[in-house]
Amino acid sequence: MTPHKDEYLELCAGYVLGNLTEEEARTVEAHLAEGCSACETEINRLGRGAMAFASATPRLLEPSSLRARVLDTVRNDGGQRDGQRERGRERRRPIPLPPRRIAPVLGWMGAVAAVLIAAFALYEWRAASRLERDLAAARQEVSRLNQQIQSEREWAAVATAPQTRTIELKPTPAGQPQLHARVTYDPATRRALVAVSDFVTPPGKDYQLWAITKTGPMSLGLLRTDPQGRALIRLDDAGDPFTLAAFAVSLENAGGAPTPTAPAGPVVMVGKIGT
Amino acid sequence: MRAGDTRALEELYDRNNGLLYSVVLRIVRSGADAEEVLQESWLQIWRGAGTYNEARGTVGAWLVTVARSRAIDRIRSEGSRARAEESAGADPPPPTEDASANAAHRQMSERVSRALEKLGPQHRQVLELAYFGGLTQSEISERLNAPLGTVKSWTRQALIRLSDLVPQEEWT
Repeated sequence: MTPHKDEYLELCAGYVLGNLTEEEARTVEAHLAEGCSACETEINRLGRGAMAFASATPRLLEPSSLRARVLDTVRNDGGQRDGQRERGRERRRPIPLPPRRIAPVLGWMGAVAAVLIAAFALYEWRAASRLERDLAAARQEVSRLNQQIQSEREWAAVATAPQTRTIELKPTPAGQPQLHARVTYDPATRRALVAVSDFVTPPGKDYQLWAITKTGPMSLGLLRTDPQGRALIRLDDAGDPFTLAAFAVSLENAGGAPTPTAPAGPVVMVGKIGT
Repeated sequence: MRAGDTRALEELYDRNNGLLYSVVLRIVRSGADAEEVLQESWLQIWRGAGTYNEARGTVGAWLVTVARSRAIDRIRSEGSRARAEESAGADPPPPTEDASANAAHRQMSERVSRALEKLGPQHRQVLELAYFGGLTQSEISERLNAPLGTVKSWTRQALIRLSDLVPQEEWT
């Protein structure tokens, strides 16, 4: 057995989360297969941590039809497996077929027909290959467009989902009163749409958006506006609904605050998330 | 279930699919994809019941691991959304919160938040990116502009801290 090394323990967290490189994962697997109890215990402990993290995920109601579909799929799978076993047991010898007979006078006609059929098949095959290539290209394009539609549909759902919250940010005394910002936040997917207007950025400065959580601020990025001071920003992850308390905007030196966990400039807008 | 008892599977489903659905939907972010992933996951669970290893954790944790791995494979594969759209026709209505399950899970969520608060925001962030984003440790290191060794330490510290929330006796 390979002697246990602390480096293996370092790999255990990535192994539990499934985010090691392939080589690292193989190393851990091989080491575990040798029966290292220290690493087995560590994986058990870290697995408990991962389960606690998963258990904190907001629970969503699954579609009522899902249960029946899943169970039907499994039952059909079981039936197929049983069926295969049954067929395996009852396998029989193939029944021999009598040899075909061809009349001698028709032999030469058959040969000519075979050549004609072969030529026709070649022509058809070439045409089919061309069509297949065209079809593959069309399918690829349809797939790309479907992905685009799906993505747009998901973003539209952020605005229409029943659990979505709209947060209007208000200017603070340090902010210009004409600033307008609204965050539409879906706690289920944690996505957010941010719409701002009248954000005229002073030279050498940048507006920065923040999620204010129970553990402190987290940067959500800079607000890049058009020349009219407008922007519509999509955020893939605006924060955990159970720790998120507010959104805020600060005015920073160009490039943003030096650290992503604390604004360096004045906070110019704030909007609390209602319960 | 190892003996092919579908009633055992139904019981496991009823006890665990709420969590599986929420985790998978959080990863794939599409109702149609989540349903497909869960169908594949339960089939894998059914066929691979013999591969479950008690020494590594509870059945519930194994089920979550199977479903999560499938969901991450899904977001890493190209064109999955298009296939889901073709097969499902249209997306189901947006999911709503499960009020009956939320009291218990809210309590766990608060305990998780408190436990991670004692460490730092970066610990939560590495877990979020790894667990729900499916990012590798190198990708997280790049994303957070932090050394790879630091990312590994944050991940391990966070999981160790959270492991205290699930008592050993409930686990095995």
